[in-house]
Amino acid sequence: MSVVGSYRFHTGVSAFFEMATADARAVLPKHLEPIEVRHERSVLSVNAFLFDDSVVGPYTELMFAVIVPPSVAAWGVHAKAGLYPFLCATSNEEARRIKAERFHFPYHHQNIDAQFIETEDRLRVRIFGCDAPILDLSVTPESWETTTHLLQGFMMNGTERLRTILQITGDYTVHEMERGEMTLFPHPITTDLLRQDVSPYPFREHWFKNGTEVFHKIEAF
Amino acid sequence: MSDNTNESSVARGKAEPSAPPRRLDVDETDTAAVPAAMEYDYTNFYFGAGDDPFALLAPFDEWYRQVKPAGYYLYELPLHTAPGTRVDVEDTKTNEIRRGLVNFASYNYLGLSYRPEVKKAIHEAVDIYGGGSSGSPILSGTTDLHRRFNDEMAAFKGKEAVMVFPTGYSANVGTIAGLMRSGDLIVADQFAHASIVDGMILSKAKSRFFRHNRPDDLDRKLSGFSGKKLVIVEGVYSMDGDVPPLPELLEVCRKHGARLLIDEAHSAFVFGPTGKGLAEAQGVEDEVDIHIGTFSKSLGGQGGYVAGSQQLINYLRGFSRSRFFSCALSPAVVAGLRASLELVQKEPHLRTQLWDNVAHMQKLLAERGVPIGDSTSQVIPIMIRDDARIFMIGEELFREGVFINPVRYPAVGKHKSRFRMSISAAHTKHDLEEGANTIARVLGRYGICQS
Repeated sequence: MSVVGSYRFHTGVSAFFEMATADARAVLPKHLEPIEVRHERSVLSVNAFLFDDSVVGPYTELMFAVIVPPSVAAWGVHAKAGLYPFLCATSNEEARRIKAERFHFPYHHQNIDAQFIETEDRLRVRIFGCDAPILDLSVTPESWETTTHLLQGFMMNGTERLRTILQITGDYTVHEMERGEMTLFPHPITTDLLRQDVSPYPFREHWFKNGTEVFHKIEAF
Repeated sequence: MSDNTNESSVARGKAEPSAPPRRLDVDETDTAAVPAAMEYDYTNFYFGAGDDPFALLAPFDEWYRQVKPAGYYLYELPLHTAPGTRVDVEDTKTNEIRRGLVNFASYNYLGLSYRPEVKKAIHEAVDIYGGGSSGSPILSGTTDLHRRFNDEMAAFKGKEAVMVFPTGYSANVGTIAGLMRSGDLIVADQFAHASIVDGMILSKAKSRFFRHNRPDDLDRKLSGFSGKKLVIVEGVYSMDGDVPPLPELLEVCRKHGARLLIDEAHSAFVFGPTGKGLAEAQGVEDEVDIHIGTFSKSLGGQGGYVAGSQQLINYLRGFSRSRFFSCALSPAVVAGLRASLELVQKEPHLRTQLWDNVAHMQKLLAERGVPIGDSTSQVIPIMIRDDARIFMIGEELFREGVFINPVRYPAVGKHKSRFRMSISAAHTKHDLEEGANTIARVLGRYGICQS
């Protein structure tokens, strides 16, 4: 698998929230199933990354995804999880254009701005759009380790089904202590989420530092 | 955009970080690195691509062959003795029999499964009835022993009627799916047992989960729904050993017109002045609408029950598919259960002994710095929190004389790995002290406690 995109990040957060399975199914293409954390409760992954080195320079990105099962049997490489991004936003128009072309992620058309506020025991991410708040998310650390994660990313290009392997390497902490929280504010990006039954606290908190996000070759399947 | 924060460091998308971060480079030219097998778990093999139902079998098999020697072999270890306080267990990694291990893995909370009175009753029943019941309880599977045991259980619980199921699992599934329908609402504690969740799924009712032991969140989850509502909690949560605040939960149920079902799998026969369970202990035995429990834990046998009004049992008799499409409990098992129930009532000091043992073990572990969570029951979690090393620790405990179950993700959350310790009234002080010393010694090597 050859690399088609590499992004160095200073900070990244991926927080898992329970959402109604019916809402998850509504955003997924028909060939993907949401993973249920419990009956009728699927997983909304809210991801925010501060990229400090890319072809367009530093920028921030917000991504909402539904967690889906990875394709274990069909691929030789075992990913730990799969995700289907259904709404993304960035602080940089060029970054948005490149990623939309390469990876077919569905981007919100306006820039966002983000703050990553780090203290010893908490990372707070505040996302804004046109000076209006979009979300306020905080996660906390447990023990730190250096790790590599393999994830499968699923995308659609019209009716074409696509997938890629996403490799994240960096300093990493994860736990399920339910110490984080998220507030969503009324904004075009959050309109659907605010209508849905999304838990305000993450049941799993991932926090990354000083790493690299690498996209491998995209395949149609 | 306003920014009135006082936090120590703020990074923005267009700003350079204050100090150059350490870099971790990846090979961007070749294949992705494949994580070690132990980084995967059962959740990675739940779905798979392709149309062949067997598509996942080979990858799963390959994974399991790699991880089994590293710790997964600690499950399904064959016992060569009764589930007493000391057990002989087969080490499937070395094919040795490890003898005289202190047993903290069995549910035999009152030590009844191997009592002479119980074994005698079973022997006598086998002589009369043979091995199995050979039929569904509604057809030919009910014997006079079953009828008598039903009546005795109803009298013990102080309820109009009881219905017996072949397992505790089927009691939950059959009761929940037998009572609730599509369009109804079931709200369960987020830590509800799989049998409760499966009953919810089979019922086709709308399902919600409230935050563990939080009446305020139950209130939110019940709000805005009109129709039939059932709330489900457990008497003792088997992974943490904690108990629900029943009076507060009942108050929320009554506010919303919801019925309350309690699964007393781990609390029946040990909690309360007469052993009825947690509802009795918290003074709400008659307020709880449906009581479910098992016979496989404190009674040391097998099976499950639902207790409640005669009308409830009459209705469920016709709608509990998990019961009437299963073979009835073996008469021999029922005979053993009758003897166990009699002992529970004749020997209340067993419960006293159990709680003395629980208090003693908690003290022993606390004195040795073993982290034991917030248990208030005979189920004591020993919190390891190290998902990667819990199997190694479990293996050392096993080799050094303690039989205890490791529990890790996905059975509990990530970084919530633990050993689940079950205390029995039959444990002697010597058993507990030897066990606590071994646990502290092994955990001390890993820096989890100071031994």
